Amino acid sequence: MKSLRRLLRFFFRQPAARVRRKENTATSSITPSAPSEKPIAAQVLEQLADCADLVHRTMPELDVQFLYFDHLIGQSLFYQDILYPFSNIKADEVSALLKHSRYEETTDPNVIIDRIMKGFVAIFHAGKAYSVFTFDPAARTVEKSETETVIIGPHDAFVELANTNLSLIRQRVKSPELKVIKLSVGEVSRTDIYVLYIKGIANLDYVNELVSRIQKIETSSVYDGNMLVQFIDDSPFSIFPQFITTERPDSAVSKLISGRVVAIVEGSPSVIVGPTNFFEFFTSPDDYYQRWALGTATRILRFVAFIITITFTAIYVSVTTFHYEMIPEDLLLILTKSRSRVPFPPIIEALLMEVTIELLREAGARLPSKIGQTIGIVGGIVIGQAAVQAGFTSNILIIAVASSAIASFVIPSYIMSASIRLIRFGLIVLAGIWGNLGLMVGIAYIVIQLSGLTSLGASYVTPLAPMVWRDWKDTFIRAPFFMLKHRPSESRSPNPVKTKMRK
Amino acid sequence: MKEKLHPIHIGILIYMTQTAVVILSLPRSLAEHFGTNGWVILIPVSLFVAFNIFVISIVYRMGKGRSVFAVLEQSIPKAVLFPLYLAVGFLWALIGSLVGKQYVLVFQMSSYQSAPPMVFKFVCDFLAWLLINKGIHNIAKASTIFFVMIFWMILLLFYHLSDFSFTRLTPFFFQGETDFWNGLWEVYSSFLGFELSLLLFPYVASKTNMFKAVYAGHFLTSFTYLIVSFVMFGFFSLGQLTSLVNPVIDLLALIQLPFVERIENLLFGFLLYTTLITSVMYFWAAQEAWARVFHCVKPAVLNAFLILSTGLLSLVPKTAEDVRSWLKIFVNIQIGVAIIFPVFLILLLTIQNQKKRVPKNA
Repeated sequence: MKSLRRLLRFFFRQPAARVRRKENTATSSITPSAPSEKPIAAQVLEQLADCADLVHRTMPELDVQFLYFDHLIGQSLFYQDILYPFSNIKADEVSALLKHSRYEETTDPNVIIDRIMKGFVAIFHAGKAYSVFTFDPAARTVEKSETETVIIGPHDAFVELANTNLSLIRQRVKSPELKVIKLSVGEVSRTDIYVLYIKGIANLDYVNELVSRIQKIETSSVYDGNMLVQFIDDSPFSIFPQFITTERPDSAVSKLISGRVVAIVEGSPSVIVGPTNFFEFFTSPDDYYQRWALGTATRILRFVAFIITITFTAIYVSVTTFHYEMIPEDLLLILTKSRSRVPFPPIIEALLMEVTIELLREAGARLPSKIGQTIGIVGGIVIGQAAVQAGFTSNILIIAVASSAIASFVIPSYIMSASIRLIRFGLIVLAGIWGNLGLMVGIAYIVIQLSGLTSLGASYVTPLAPMVWRDWKDTFIRAPFFMLKHRPSESRSPNPVKTKMRK
Repeated sequence: MKEKLHPIHIGILIYMTQTAVVILSLPRSLAEHFGTNGWVILIPVSLFVAFNIFVISIVYRMGKGRSVFAVLEQSIPKAVLFPLYLAVGFLWALIGSLVGKQYVLVFQMSSYQSAPPMVFKFVCDFLAWLLINKGIHNIAKASTIFFVMIFWMILLLFYHLSDFSFTRLTPFFFQGETDFWNGLWEVYSSFLGFELSLLLFPYVASKTNMFKAVYAGHFLTSFTYLIVSFVMFGFFSLGQLTSLVNPVIDLLALIQLPFVERIENLLFGFLLYTTLITSVMYFWAAQEAWARVFHCVKPAVLNAFLILSTGLLSLVPKTAEDVRSWLKIFVNIQIGVAIIFPVFLILLLTIQNQKKRVPKNA
């Protein structure tokens, strides 16, 4: 009976009335507790039992107790807000001191615990509980980004501390219109997430959509921006990333100004930006810092690199398996000579080399940079040379595989470049089975997938389809600034004009 | 977010639906049926098709952008309409399927003589199924991307500029062995696809621009056909044209670049995209018609059924010639549908509008 019902559900639409929507409630990590008879300090201590790193200090002469995690607080803040004021008063002055606005009275023990976890110091006095902000943990200082390096332009990058990241953005946007929404994800980790947008520029539909998607996440923990993205993207099955992630404050700010919504995840140097489109992954901040002609040339170079990455090896396989007639006579001699000793069919040969390149890449990424260089030399020169001499592969294939691997690294977004490298394998297999037709079928499949994708509900292939000529000036080329008058159409900004240059 | 179709997408969609594999054999067909300077006939036929589009635009204006199915169902009982929907839907799906099969057979003939064509056909159908399930907006998006990917190919004609000779065009018109009526029929059928704009009404954003876009798409098709045929008539002689099965492929085969030559099968691969969109649009139209009858069945299931059933039927014709003769039969019916259906709708709408007016006056 059950399977019959399931079968019916597969074939037929369900009547709207019968579709039960699961009401997703916002994850609330704190369950309200029943009022208890115990004093609040005892309740808190009971819940925090067996936490060896918890510091519990008492000042019996003042009837004051402090609870905090030593490693989460800043020493100077602790001195300024706790040590100094409390060592200079008498017992009858404590209540007056605790009336200062920096000490916030709280009655709910769960709130106190939550604050202690977030680097507050909890103060207990006369059966009441207070908390004061002293959060300043040890963290990595602002450094260069390893994954998104640029030659010209600002070099600072986001770090793991959300506060620092917020400060990096606020330093660049000194506007009261920059709004921040604070959310929390993860029932165990209680990770803070900050959603940023510029009021009057960002479309509030996107802000609300992003906020509601984040609120609907029900999981134990989220560790990184790139992980959060996978909880909230439109098509979880797709191979393509549907939100851009960046470690660069200048990039994040430029997205904010273009009307996008940005989310910072605590503990992650990658902030996420939405809505985005496929072509945005091919842009880099230094396009804007160079002269427009250079910016344009680099952009075109990246799109050429994209085509090389996905097609080069596949075309080699297709040509050497099915379409020898495509090669001009002079070239044919070279090719047949280099392939004459290879005992495998081209597809095996190509997959072998592609896997080797991927192995080298993965090994290089895991190793410290000094050993990574050795891997490059050993892999690139020794294995490449030896493989050809041993007759395992042809020279031409090495050129094809190497150039398509190099081209894949030209794409500025690592996530997108990794996706594209994976797609390439599918195309190689298709080219090995059906030659050029297989290649075309593969590309058709990619286009069909791309055109069905959305990012926060906006089309993923935006300036191309829906076709917005205006946006092409800042997508496929980088026109001079006086021509880039409008924000991208995708952000559907209430204030679309960005630049008004005097003539 | 419910998007509406943008005029530019409608234009491209119509262009991509109209052009298909037929472009490869069109110059031969023109030469066979019309003799010397056969390309000229494209102009009057294109104008006649434009008139057809004008008739459809009247339907749009009179029906105030309502879906044609809604217009029909308002006056005609469903018992009459539903069998009609099923029949027309099946006709459309069959055309979609046969267009795909035709492409696959031509490809097999030029590159993969020993490969079983049905596997390719199955793959094409699978791609079509994936795309239709995403709905008309995504079909339009995909067709726009495909358009960008193939439209540059028209520039390849310039490669042959040096071998083009006006003397081959001859000063004579329509001389030699001609078969005027059959030829007209065939040329008209190569423009089919515009009639599907009838089904786009409910998905269109602005009222005024829709038909401008349809005309633009149609004239772009006409321009492509015209320029390709014109170059063919000046490149090959009439005798050569009539004896080559797919002269456009032969033309592409002559392109030689320093590092690559005989790129016709690579370029022919690009035609997969326009064929795919033609197929998809006919399947989509079929699904639109069938969904009126089986509105409780999921669209994906309905599409799968339509594609599979017509796919099985398309197994019957074995050779490209068989497929062509099958297509001819169904395309002839479709020409009837394309011409008569809008006129019928106009009559129906006139009656409906009069009925509305009567109580007002009374």
